[in-house]
Amino acid sequence: MSSDREANLLRVLTHTSWRFYTCFGMLSAVALWGLYGYILQLRHGLIVTGMRDQISWGLYISNFVFFTGISYGGTLISAILRVTDSGWRHPITRLSEAITVFALCVGGPMVIIDLGRPDRMGYLFIHGRIQSAILWDVIAVSTYLAGCALYLYLPMIPDLALLSEMKELAPWRRKLYRTLAFGWSDSAAERHLLEKCISRMAILMIMLAVSVHTVVSWIFAMTLRPGWNSSIFGPYFVMGAIYSGTAAVVLSMYILLRVLHLEDYLKPVHFRNLGLLLVTFALLYLYFTINEYLTSVYKVEAPDRVLLHQLFFGDYAVMMWVTQAMFIAVPLLMIAGVLALKRLRRFTPSVVALASVLIVLGAGAKRYLIVVPTLTAPFLPKTNRGDIPFNPPLPFDWVHYRPTWVEWSITLGGSAAFLLMYMLFTKLFPMVSIWETRHDEAQVEPAVAPTPQPAPQRLGSIATTTIVLIACLLLGAGHARADQKRQAKQPEATTLSMEWKQVATPPPTNDGAEQAQPSAGEGSGVDRFYGRLFGWLPVESKDHTESLPPTFVVTATLRGAKGQPLAYQVVGLSLKTSFGKLDYGSRPTDAEGKAEFSLQDRRYGQYPVEGTYDGGAEFAAAQAVTSVDFGPRPEPSLPSQGVLITPYATAWIGLPFLGFFGLVWLVFIYIGVYLLWFRLPQVRKQQTKAT
Amino acid sequence: MSTSRRDFFRSLGGGALVASLATAEGAAAQVFHHVLPARSIAPTNQKWVMVIDLAKCDGCGKCTKACNAMHFVPPMQQWIRVYEVLENPEAGPYYMARPCMHCDNPPCVRGCPVGATFKRTDGLVMMDQDRCIGCRNCIAQCPYGARSFNWSEPPHTPEELSHKYSMEEGWPHRKGVVEKCDFCPDMLRAGKLTACADACTMGAVYCGDEYEDAVTNSKGETIQLSQVTKKGAGFRLLEELGTEPRVYYLPPVNRKYAAPGEPKSS
Repeated sequence: MSSDREANLLRVLTHTSWRFYTCFGMLSAVALWGLYGYILQLRHGLIVTGMRDQISWGLYISNFVFFTGISYGGTLISAILRVTDSGWRHPITRLSEAITVFALCVGGPMVIIDLGRPDRMGYLFIHGRIQSAILWDVIAVSTYLAGCALYLYLPMIPDLALLSEMKELAPWRRKLYRTLAFGWSDSAAERHLLEKCISRMAILMIMLAVSVHTVVSWIFAMTLRPGWNSSIFGPYFVMGAIYSGTAAVVLSMYILLRVLHLEDYLKPVHFRNLGLLLVTFALLYLYFTINEYLTSVYKVEAPDRVLLHQLFFGDYAVMMWVTQAMFIAVPLLMIAGVLALKRLRRFTPSVVALASVLIVLGAGAKRYLIVVPTLTAPFLPKTNRGDIPFNPPLPFDWVHYRPTWVEWSITLGGSAAFLLMYMLFTKLFPMVSIWETRHDEAQVEPAVAPTPQPAPQRLGSIATTTIVLIACLLLGAGHARADQKRQAKQPEATTLSMEWKQVATPPPTNDGAEQAQPSAGEGSGVDRFYGRLFGWLPVESKDHTESLPPTFVVTATLRGAKGQPLAYQVVGLSLKTSFGKLDYGSRPTDAEGKAEFSLQDRRYGQYPVEGTYDGGAEFAAAQAVTSVDFGPRPEPSLPSQGVLITPYATAWIGLPFLGFFGLVWLVFIYIGVYLLWFRLPQVRKQQTKAT
Repeated sequence: MSTSRRDFFRSLGGGALVASLATAEGAAAQVFHHVLPARSIAPTNQKWVMVIDLAKCDGCGKCTKACNAMHFVPPMQQWIRVYEVLENPEAGPYYMARPCMHCDNPPCVRGCPVGATFKRTDGLVMMDQDRCIGCRNCIAQCPYGARSFNWSEPPHTPEELSHKYSMEEGWPHRKGVVEKCDFCPDMLRAGKLTACADACTMGAVYCGDEYEDAVTNSKGETIQLSQVTKKGAGFRLLEELGTEPRVYYLPPVNRKYAAPGEPKSS
């Protein structure tokens, strides 16, 4: 029986029907059409899409999220089932792992398609900033793709060795298989080593899968936009990804079952178990959805109001409700019904597959609903209301989004490319792991529905707040220089002389007890060090009384022709800045001819300060300029309030990321290079020596 | 058997050491953060700031027009945009000009994957169109909608094209990159007001240097920044988001013009 079903499985590798060619041709046409759309977009720019300044991310980004989501199921299903050692998994691991790899091959480039300047993609590596969520995505998705490819390849090695022995195959293919099989001789020691590799990879892939989709959600959650600014996004995205990914696995199982007649491998029990998983995931997703929307619907914050209205009653309402039904409610009822009712049980594969179609389509729509409506409800819209001269409201299509035919073509082209890759894969490699299924008994283990762990949010709130004293001013000596001006003879000539000095700033009058604590700022030396280390400096105190600027007293003395002080005359004061004159108003002189101006400004540098006396019938006008030094300007630096804005890699965010993904890469190298390349031949040699 | 594994890990550890040294360099730069790359350091030591008096803004849009003309701003974009604001139905509407806020805690700079938009020591958020890859994450990040994208090749004039591209002026423009208000730093350094402030006939837009504690408008009126924000109850847009903008607004009280919808008084 075993060989019969294997022959059936392997027949697809040698026999190609006209149906395959027809499908292949049609899908190629669609993919080429998508390519044409992309060439058009390269030539004319993103103007060929429906995206504009207001809604600047659209179908491409939602496709990216969708395809990375689809990619999930594969790995997670196969890895979780492997870790929990569910025996029934064997026939479905390969086909689900293949989904992962090819979905990522389509999903990753979707971001590149979305770029305005794809020619500058290399800048991500030359000038990459680890503080940016985009770079996290690049690192995470590429790591994930590498891991998935390795995880698909590892369990395939024994099958490749088997295939290289097949006489029906063309010589080049056998050679290819032999090269890829690493000289696998199927000994017990080799098997043991391979099992070790696979089980380690499985654990790693679960971690990686959860982290990658969390990172994908962070390109949205790291913004200040209502609707995206949500801490639930990480687990929400992970859950949605597993849910849609599992549905994709079911769908591909069903298609392979019908096309390749794999009834011997893909039994109703697989559909039943995956259906149970889908029910669990649907309920979990429902829970997340309620959590996400109820918390904002209950409060209806002003910025959320527009978005919620759009979603529940406005432009996106129909799509929203249809999607919720299609993505959660209907599949849930369908699968639960077919699994619960004995009478319907024989329809299980078809009904679960049909529900999966709905889930996969609904996942695409749900991604769209996450990306687009939020962009229609910004804090400040791109266009003004009302009619303002020179500022007419933007045209309708600049503030509303509707994907254009180019975007649809590229989306369909991408999906076609995914299917093409999958089809070619079925032609080149067996879709069911032969060596694992060969030793399977007919027994079926009960279904296990593992609950995935929601990804922990890594950002902790930083609670330290210290005060930075910025003003520490030096006094420079300045000499008051009087400037005399002769006037007409009639009024008596006057001289205005000016001098300035810095005086102690009077302490704040009210509730000074709290503020008279400069030690709070001094004691923060360690905090400041850590602040710098982590690229996060405490925000300067908003209370201005705490760091009062120094006071400068400018005294203008007005004297008559004989040097006698002139009292009760009005003297004005102004300060010359780069762009104009800052007027300090005017004061009457006292009995000594002095007018005092007290300047308590946040100013740095040296400025000419001009005293003016307008004169009158009795006395002539006079002017005097003195240069007041308000202390040196602070050293040029970036604002201390800026978080993660330095041009350098910021340690506290960079190290965990690079550490985590670096570790993952190390394990890849350990498994792919050391165990596979190095240890496998050694083990084989020892085995042959022993025998 | 176990030694080969140890060797393997030893060589892996060597690689990790090299990688961590490279990271440590970044960490060191973090501690000594005054050591900035050349492009982050402004030619002169100022902190540019803008004050917009909403009581004076009558929504004529001359700022936008002057800015568009000076920077050859592509069609459909406005680097400074005038909004008609109605906070609630009972409040009178007022006009508000919105340039780039040049935030001190700029979300766009944080989100840029390649450092095409970066903070400079003179307080400005610069936009380098030679580096921008067009991912538009900054547009998603900016809560003020101050950024636009060149969706197609912008129409050019010979005058525009004859100029060499400079980050401070932002033109000639090109396809597939993000654009925004740049605060005209070249003009400010020369002691001239920005295009928008210069064009404002109402004198609603003031600009200046924070270190001078004074801002000046087109009428030559110079006001003291710290006094005007304190006594005039100056506020910044969407203050609650913590972006720390460098553009201050004075509240639209006792408006100097006929409110929208009111009959125009002489």
